[in-house]
Amino acid sequence: MGFELRDHTADVAVSATGDSLEATFGAVADGLAAASCDEIPSESGERFSLSVTAEGREALLFDYLDELIYLRDVRAELPVDHRVDSIDVESADGTEEWSLEASARGVPLAEIDAREVKAVTYSEMSLERTDDGGWEAYVVFDV
Amino acid sequence: MTTFDANGITLERVREYVWEIPQEGDMRVPARVLASEALLEEIKEDKTLEQIKNTTHLPGITNHAICMPDGHQGYGFPVGGVGALDAENGCISPGAVGYDINCGVRMMKTNLAYDDLRGHEEELVDSLFANIPSGLGGGGVVEAGVDTVDEILARGVDWALENGYAVKDDLLHCEDEGMREGAAPEKISQKAKDRGKNQIGSLGSGNHFLEVQRVTDVFDDEVGEAFGLEEDQIVVLIHCGSRGLGHQTCNDYLRKIEQQHQGLLNQLPDKELAAAPAGSQLAEDYYGAMNAAINFAWVNRQLIMHRTRTVFERVFDRSWEAMEMDLLYDVAHNIAKKETHTVGDGEERELYVHRKGATRAFPAGHPDVPKAYRDVGQPIIIPGSMGAGSYVLRGGANSMDLTFGSTAHGAGRLMSRTQAKNEYWGGDVQQELEEQEQIYVKAQSGATVAEEAPGVYKDVDEVVRVSDELGIGDKVARTFPVCNIKG
Repeated sequence: MGFELRDHTADVAVSATGDSLEATFGAVADGLAAASCDEIPSESGERFSLSVTAEGREALLFDYLDELIYLRDVRAELPVDHRVDSIDVESADGTEEWSLEASARGVPLAEIDAREVKAVTYSEMSLERTDDGGWEAYVVFDV
Repeated sequence: MTTFDANGITLERVREYVWEIPQEGDMRVPARVLASEALLEEIKEDKTLEQIKNTTHLPGITNHAICMPDGHQGYGFPVGGVGALDAENGCISPGAVGYDINCGVRMMKTNLAYDDLRGHEEELVDSLFANIPSGLGGGGVVEAGVDTVDEILARGVDWALENGYAVKDDLLHCEDEGMREGAAPEKISQKAKDRGKNQIGSLGSGNHFLEVQRVTDVFDDEVGEAFGLEEDQIVVLIHCGSRGLGHQTCNDYLRKIEQQHQGLLNQLPDKELAAAPAGSQLAEDYYGAMNAAINFAWVNRQLIMHRTRTVFERVFDRSWEAMEMDLLYDVAHNIAKKETHTVGDGEERELYVHRKGATRAFPAGHPDVPKAYRDVGQPIIIPGSMGAGSYVLRGGANSMDLTFGSTAHGAGRLMSRTQAKNEYWGGDVQQELEEQEQIYVKAQSGATVAEEAPGVYKDVDEVVRVSDELGIGDKVARTFPVCNIKG
């Protein structure tokens, strides 16, 4: 359970597992933070919450990571220590609406040596159930 | 026929340095790789070839999908990829432009010689590092509201001219005179603008940098003179793009395509190739937004260049005009442009030429080359790693036939960032460069120095040699780093 940074020629890939969808999403987000900064301080920064909605499960993961990168730039804080509290889905008329409630601690960029991860990509993205009922995800980030 | 087996993908040799992956399955055209066998040995090691094959699935792709000599694995479209998609019946693909819209390079000349600079290296690198925003959260040369962002998006370097950050001559030495027509600021999301407003005039991090260099070789005296380059001369190279504004714009449109053009998306082997059909509202919207982001990136590089002039003025105690700090040229290497090309049996067709990690390389006489260079061909700037040379080329006579007027964009990565950090330590790299090569490096993060160590890149000399031999971009001059700052 947790994440690993994987080799990718130009970019950085995160492979993550969790016993729930929430834990897996949170682990990918922690991977994104690790790809941005080698030494994340354990205390600094305040927690903040965020919500994301999307039309599918993978799209939700994409939009969640996209939102974290957006918030990093506009808040001038690196989001770390991710917690995904809930992921819900509602179906109506053949369409689905997925929603996510999460929080993170925002470490001021001025306090750390952080590198810019430019964006989350769909390239080679996977989000699958594992045999033991958990989830595994693979996401490539553009650096 | 000579073939090259690349881990299951067979390439057929068309002629020297031109290899073809024949059309099969759902490929709409063959794929071509322009490389020597030495470069192919490196290219075959990651998913570059699979990605260039995938690119041939895009509707409207014309002649071939082409991988440049510096090609390497990207996301969806490989880095070093050129794809010309029919602008009437084809499509436009944000992923094939890349996240960093109009990521590119500009070179500014000076009349200083290397000897004038010796002894000032440390002062210069410190002052550049202190004055040019870099890294994450470092702000920009200009802090602006959204109104200013809109003006920049609409007018490009013309905005910089009006506000005292450029001179008229800068515009005359930039593609499209630094202002892309058809820019639609209203097609850029509020989120993208919010990210951009604090980053106007900033390098960012990763492989972006500013480098003071000396010209070590001029290979072509006539073109060298037309470009104003001579041996021992000091020049400045600036490599960066449209920052968060461009990144956000790419993802905004990827998601819209996913929601509105699922049918087309389902035909493609990689979701990251997502494309909007030519003629659709979304294709128009993306093209307008991308053009606006192109303007933003030009202004970004212009502001950094302006600030560099000020730093040189302080360090050398002379006006920048007296040091003749003039823009040589600015090239984009993540871009799609509507261009007219001759295809097949002499038919002229309008194409969205996607160059992702590839540089436009229009030859002498082409009407889109700025007047200043029309007789010799456009300048092409190919940055190497911080321990190797960079090159200035000029658009080659064969580029229109072979590559839709394109060539390589850099050395191309060889080693992943994670592996680089295991192999190198930033402090050692920095010290070695200074002691052995007299290259002064300053970075926000030691990890960035390790990730960008000279050893993680391909041999830029070989990339340029192949470009030159193919006649798509001809060697004009070579430069070597003196000072380098990065995020």
